[in-house]
Amino acid sequence: MAAVAQKSKFGHIFWPVLAWVVALIFFFPIFWLVFTSFKTDADAVKPEFLFTFKPTLDNYLNMTENYDYWRFAINSVITSTFATTLALVVGVPAAYAMAFNPSRHTKDILVWMLSTKMLPAAAVLYPMTFLTKNFLGIYDTHFLVILVLCLINLPIVIWMLFTYFKEIPKEIIEAGKMDGVSTWGEIKDILIPLAWGGVASTALLCFIFCWNEAYWTVRLTTTEAATLSKLIEGNRAPEGLFFGRLSAVSTAAVGPIVVLGWFCQKQLVRGLTFGAVK
Amino acid sequence: MSKRTLPRLLQTPAVILLLVWMLVPLGMTLYFSFIRYVLNSLRRPEWTSPSISNWRGFGNYEYVYNSKDFWFALQNSLFIVGSILVLTVILGLAFAMLVNRSFPGRGIVRVLLISPFFVMPAVNAVLWINMILDPVLGLNGLAVEGINAAVKGLQDFPILGAFFSLWPEIEPISFRATQTSAYAVIMMVTWQWTPFAVLIFMTSLQSEDEQQKEAAILDGANAWSRFRNLTIPHLARPIAIVVMIQSIFHLSLYAEIEIVSRGNGNKNLPYLIGEFTSNNIGAASAAGIFAVILANIVAIFLLRMVGKNLMD
Repeated sequence: MAAVAQKSKFGHIFWPVLAWVVALIFFFPIFWLVFTSFKTDADAVKPEFLFTFKPTLDNYLNMTENYDYWRFAINSVITSTFATTLALVVGVPAAYAMAFNPSRHTKDILVWMLSTKMLPAAAVLYPMTFLTKNFLGIYDTHFLVILVLCLINLPIVIWMLFTYFKEIPKEIIEAGKMDGVSTWGEIKDILIPLAWGGVASTALLCFIFCWNEAYWTVRLTTTEAATLSKLIEGNRAPEGLFFGRLSAVSTAAVGPIVVLGWFCQKQLVRGLTFGAVK
Repeated sequence: MSKRTLPRLLQTPAVILLLVWMLVPLGMTLYFSFIRYVLNSLRRPEWTSPSISNWRGFGNYEYVYNSKDFWFALQNSLFIVGSILVLTVILGLAFAMLVNRSFPGRGIVRVLLISPFFVMPAVNAVLWINMILDPVLGLNGLAVEGINAAVKGLQDFPILGAFFSLWPEIEPISFRATQTSAYAVIMMVTWQWTPFAVLIFMTSLQSEDEQQKEAAILDGANAWSRFRNLTIPHLARPIAIVVMIQSIFHLSLYAEIEIVSRGNGNKNLPYLIGEFTSNNIGAASAAGIFAVILANIVAIFLLRMVGKNLMD
């Protein structure tokens, strides 16, 4: 310990200060986005108003009028919520079975599930459009967006749940079995309460991914089920005319998710590395 | 019901859903890649609906392989992915080391560093290309203007002025041209994904053997050699995982390219497939199969690593 304590005074001040400076620079684009959202469109592009301007809430108050924000936001909430729920409903029993009753194929099934996540979406763009538009007639419906969001996140959900469930001693589940508890009872009364933190953070992460998804939600919708990704994509404002209002709607689109993300930063590692880094 | 049946039943919905999701569209892509299939053709109306009688064999693959755009898109894909990987790993390592020791406000610093990861890709692209990188209205233009004004001011100084009067007035770079817009994409994705590398490296730095490090200090090893001989080997696996997971995500990068470079010639493989999809489905499907093969090469390595780790 003595050797470690002998840090130089210089390093004691320099590194923390550097860390703060780096973090502030890194966060700056987000700050700038929020900051610009309080300027009028005219002020937003004038250099003399860089930091001195009259703050206004108009951009937020006119969000519905300018962009029909709530329609897209509600679609995002609906699709992300239901997709997450569906993924959990399908994923929890599967992960339960894999963690507590593994067969010799369990490992292969898990790896295969992950491999579906690695298919490049662009490769199946046309078949998906064709199937949903001409064949099934579910193009641009909430149902389709929910289903697709669920499917693209299902592998990650199952993996995360699997790594959490595996940490629960098998004996506890076995004891439940001895007492004659049904499988459903085991999941509901023993497993879920024990792995509550893991299930919650899996759901949170799945929700974030659904919310931010920008390929299928843009390609498989037009108006009816269009989410916030589609709204922003459609209003990229090339002439810079609407920086103020565009910033407001963007802030409203990412704000809740960024805050939600702060709460699950630790679980993110497990979710994104499929349990390979803990 | 036997002991084995129930667990299998519980997995069935997940397995069937994913099986259908994987096999049906991919099977169709494979089929379309072997036939002539275009959405609009006045001359050959029979090509506008998929039919086995329009069989083309490997003709679509040849067509895609021989098109200049394909090679450009492939190179560009690899260039963009490669640059992002190098930048995120280096920045991620540096930042993770910075926040590894405790100091006042470390929690806030960590939150600030992680935040970009949760920003919606569409917002990320719009924010960077308009408000930051735009040569006239963005901070890019303002910064260059500021530098020019400062240089001009310095020219009035007695002796140093002569030196500064030699400086040319600089022009802001536009990030909307073919090549520079690829740099813009690299910048914004690096910004978004560095937090991911930071998180993983941070997690794994915390499991580093402190005693070993202290022993090295007592043996007189300096900071650099401790970093090289202890930390880097410890981080080898996390680095490999960061590289592979990001490769998979960034090979299918789309929203950023679409927003930043629509129509200016900068494209990657998914974007090219999207372009083909507007008419030539046969070619789009063949290009799609190439993309699948490329992704598989990366995926095999990743799955091996993850799989090895699975049952312990």
